[in-house]
Parts: sequence; C-alpha cells; structure tokens
Amino acid sequence: MKRYDLIIVGAGPSGLSAAVEAAKRGMEVVVFDENEKPGGQLFKQIHKFFGSKEHRAKVRGFNIGKQLLEEAAEAGVKVVLNATVIGLYQDKEVVVKIGEEIHHYKGDSVIIATGAAENMVTFPGWTLPGVIGAGAAQTMMNLHGVKPGKKVLMLGSGNVGLVVSFQLMQCGCEVVALVDAATRVGGYGVHAAKVARTGVPFYLSHTIVEAEGDECVTGVTIAEVDSSFKFIPGTEKHFDVDTICLAVGLSPMSQLLKMAGAKMEDNPKRGGQVPICDEYGRTSLPGVFVAGDVSGIEEASSAMIEGRMAGIVAAEYLGYTDEDDMNRNVESLEKALDGLRQGMFAPENRGKLVEKTEEGIDVSMNLLKKGYVADDEIERYPGVTHKVGIHPVMECTQNIPCNPCQDACPKKCISIGDNITSLPIVVPESECINCGMCVASCSGQAIFLVDEDCGDGTATVTLPYEFLPLPKEGAKGIALGRNGKKVCDAEVVNVRSAKAFDKTNLLTMRVPKEYAMKARFFRATV
Amino acid sequence: MNSVNDRNRDIGPFVPAPDDDMLICRCEEITKGEIRKAVHDGMWTLTEIRRYLRTGMGLCQGQTCSKLVKSIVARELNVSPAELEPATSRVPMRPIEMRIFANEAKEDDDYE
Repeated sequence: MKRYDLIIVGAGPSGLSAAVEAAKRGMEVVVFDENEKPGGQLFKQIHKFFGSKEHRAKVRGFNIGKQLLEEAAEAGVKVVLNATVIGLYQDKEVVVKIGEEIHHYKGDSVIIATGAAENMVTFPGWTLPGVIGAGAAQTMMNLHGVKPGKKVLMLGSGNVGLVVSFQLMQCGCEVVALVDAATRVGGYGVHAAKVARTGVPFYLSHTIVEAEGDECVTGVTIAEVDSSFKFIPGTEKHFDVDTICLAVGLSPMSQLLKMAGAKMEDNPKRGGQVPICDEYGRTSLPGVFVAGDVSGIEEASSAMIEGRMAGIVAAEYLGYTDEDDMNRNVESLEKALDGLRQGMFAPENRGKLVEKTEEGIDVSMNLLKKGYVADDEIERYPGVTHKVGIHPVMECTQNIPCNPCQDACPKKCISIGDNITSLPIVVPESECINCGMCVASCSGQAIFLVDEDCGDGTATVTLPYEFLPLPKEGAKGIALGRNGKKVCDAEVVNVRSAKAFDKTNLLTMRVPKEYAMKARFFRATV
Repeated sequence: MNSVNDRNRDIGPFVPAPDDDMLICRCEEITKGEIRKAVHDGMWTLTEIRRYLRTGMGLCQGQTCSKLVKSIVARELNVSPAELEPATSRVPMRPIEMRIFANEAKEDDDYE
C-alpha cells in the first residue's frame, strides 16, 4: 500500500491551503478530489471577496483559486482529480475510486476538507425540473456557461442567495423576487442593496406555497408566514417563472469522519453533523484533522485560513516542523481568522437582531426587511457626507470585516482605522481626484462618486456597473433609486473600464441635482 | 439508554396529513406519509427507517434527503433533530458500480 505523509480529501480552498503549508515543510502530500476540476467552490465565485489584504480582499474568488493552484504546484503538491474517496478506515487507510479501479493508500496523517452540501426544502412541486440549488445555478453559469433559466425566483436571503441572485442577473436572467421565511435579510446588507437597486423585490417572512407545472416549472406561488411559519391566508402572490433557485443553507459533508470513528456532534450552529475538534482542526482521532466547511459552515476566506492551520498542525504532528514554528504561524493565522469573525455577522451574532452599529448608529431596518437603506436613513452613516465638487459617498452601513477601500484611495480620502469592522469615514479636508479606485475596490459595490451640483442644475453619480451590454457614453435611460424604482431620467456621460478596476466598470450618469443622493443605478431605455 | 429511544413513550396515533404524498427521498421515491407511518410502525432511529424504507439509499446516497428525513422523524417523535442519532456512515461513500467496487488496482501508484 502506497504511503503518504499527508493525504487530503478535497481540493477546495481549505484542502489546497493545507496542502501548500504541509508541502512547504517537506511533507509528501497528495490531494484527492472527486471533481474534474480543482478549487472547490472558488471557481464559481466571480465576485470580489471581503476582508483585508491578508484575506486577499477585493480579489475575485476564481482568481484566488488560480493563485492557490499555482502555490500548490510550486510547493510540489500532487492533486489527483476524478478521484472519489469512498472510505476512511481506522489507522488512516484511505480508499479511493480512480477511473475504474479501487486504490488503497495509507496516510501518516489525514486532513478531511470535504466541504458541505446544499440543503433542500420541500413544497408541492419541489421535484419538478426547474427547481435547483443555488450552487447548481452557479455551477451551470460560472463553470459551464449555461444560463439556468429566463425568469428566476430565489428562495433564501443569506449571502449565497444574494450573491447568486446578482450573478443570475449578470448572466441575463430576470430575478422576479427574492424570498425568505425569516423576518430579516440574512446576508450582508451591501449584497442585498446591490440586488435591490436593480429592481428585485424582497419578500421577507414569505415562503413558497407551491411550484406549478406539469413537466417543468411554469410558475410559483409564495405567501406570507406568521411567527410560527404558518401561511397567512390571502397573502398569496403568483409569479410566472421557469426556475426556482433554493439557497437555504449548507450541511457539512462529514460522513468520512464518522465512518473512521471520530467523535461527532450535532451542532446546529455549525450546520449539522460535525466532528468535535479543537480550534486548529485536531479531531478525536490522532493524526486526523479537519478544515473548512466540513467542521462548521463559514465561507471561503476562513476555510483557507483553517486549511493553513491544519496543514501546519499536521506537519508538527509528524515532526516536519517544531512546536515553535507551529505556534508562531498558527498564532498569526488565528489573528487573521479572528479578524474575519468580527462584526455584526460574527458567529456569536448569528440569528440575533443587531440594532446599533459599533459606532452607536441605528441599523437600517429597511435594509433588513426590504434589502435597501431608505433615503431618510442613509444620511446618518459616516461614509455619507456632502461637499462641493466630486466626493466619495460610502453607503456602507453594517460592521463587516472589510477594508480595501481605505487603501484604494491614493489621496487617503477614506479611513476605516485599525478596527477592520468600523464603518468607513470620509477624511475631512481630503481632496477627491475622481480616480474611481474606491468604487472599484468595494466588494459590496457600496461606494459612489457624487458631484452634487455641477453648476447647471445637474449632478453626476458614478456607480459600479458589472452588467452587459455596457451602456455607451450618451446613452439615455432612467436612474433607479436604492429601492430599484425610477427616480428620474438620466444620461450616461462617462464609462470607465481600467485594468486596475478588475472588470468593475465605472458608469457616470447625469441627473437633475435634486436626485444626486437618490439615484443609484442606471437602466438604459430600449 | 437514550431517552429518545424509550419505546415505552407514547407518541400518539398516526394522523394523516394533507402533505403525506409529498416525495421526500427522490431517488427511492419515498413520501413523507410513508416516513411518518414508519415511525408509528416502531422505526424510531434513522438506521431503522433506512432499512425499512430505503430512504437515502439511492443514487445520491442521502445527500438531498437525510436532513429532511431527520426532521420529519424528529417531529413525529416530538424531539429536536439534534437529539436523533444520525444514520451509520458506511463505505462506499458515493454510489459506485459493483464491477468497479470489486476491481482492486494492481499497482499502488498507477493513477498518473
């Protein structure tokens, strides 16, 4: 039986990160993945990631995947694809189906980084073709270039539901509604806001009554639910759709660990059945470690850090590094991980209603109920200021761990400070040069450049624009408000696409000056 | 003994519900009503349900329905899903053809 120092199951963000750290320390590492391509979910993530520089913030997910694969190749990691691990036995024997054969390997250490699977919900018609998981929609669009449908209803307002709704629109689908049985939007407010401003209505405290159709989905009915999730009669709403997309959470794929005899627990906070492990991924089985979603649902940025930790801890376990190196490195990774687990969406705040920001400002209730900050709420946030001439308006209203904007501005107009979750502020006396770097750097697409009074009764608003076809200078259309409703007519006066913007186009539209603080999206009239 | 499995506990009679014909396990075509009835037939653990009805034993190996089955059984027993012992995990973790399952590779390192 072939032996490896380290066998990793899963070539996603955590598995590859673990492999890099372990191989750098001299271990012979193999990574098995059942898919035909490595990278796990990373290559489906076309949006810019949140966080700070060390978390590779403002880099698009698939580019992080490319970087990670390069690092793995450089470190000498062997990645075997189309390799399905079908069993993990005592003494760390790993059984793998490769091609049409069964192979047995012995790992002196093993890291399980199998990730998670999508949850489903049932309603009459849920088995009709056209009802798909949000992950499936992403796989179709971003890996295979297939449009999932024409008209889509999204169920689930967590970050997955919000991000995938935006991607569906980018790929040319119409998202007719975003629905969630919860009373509040579950994901980041900025993700919700960029969907809402394009005109997608949010229905919180609503869920699906039934999917209609004989051969496939032709429509869907939703209705409001009360506090015990019972339908309220008379609140039904019907939509003609051909696709219903479900983004109702993830469950860890931890069966291999259970099979091997690791101590498990059912922990709803971590997404279900998970191995009992310490903060570095050590399970109850000596030499078996875990990283990423398999030990508790989070996201790719934290999975990559957990992977690095597990790789280092595995190296120390087999004597490829000493305790000092381990402690030193793990400590700095822990700090990075802590950074990601701060703010309103920190694990300890899950399910809680946070009513005030760290700065003591009231959180927008419209954002939580309808997906957008109302016009009369926006002025209370520190990123929203007024001055003569072009200046940044940062509609960042929740404490999330993210700070690329403060480094993006060459003129130091924007400050977040040392606390990564603080809301951005406009630095007084600073001089905006209209370079647009802040607009393109904001992963939440929440920064606008506004000239509130051009002197001729008009104002200009520069916004991030990631749709095709890209409107041309001179294009006429309408400006939409934060709520996605028409506020006024608008004309495109400039469209900028620079390499440094990384495919976020900057569209500048001219509107009557009284709408400078209301107009936040442009739609061309056809 | 795990109190969830105390078979002396009275869980009441099976009461038909309007959504009993809803498919839960798509691969093996098992409905919500069948799962609820199985609980009243004395199948109180997920392992028993699986052997009795074949839920989660089809092509997707329970990837889609395990959580759904668990919540239906838990509700019928009036306990929280977290209290139910999960079903046993067994090789093979993924559906596999028998001819491949029985086809041991001769060499240990020939996948390259």
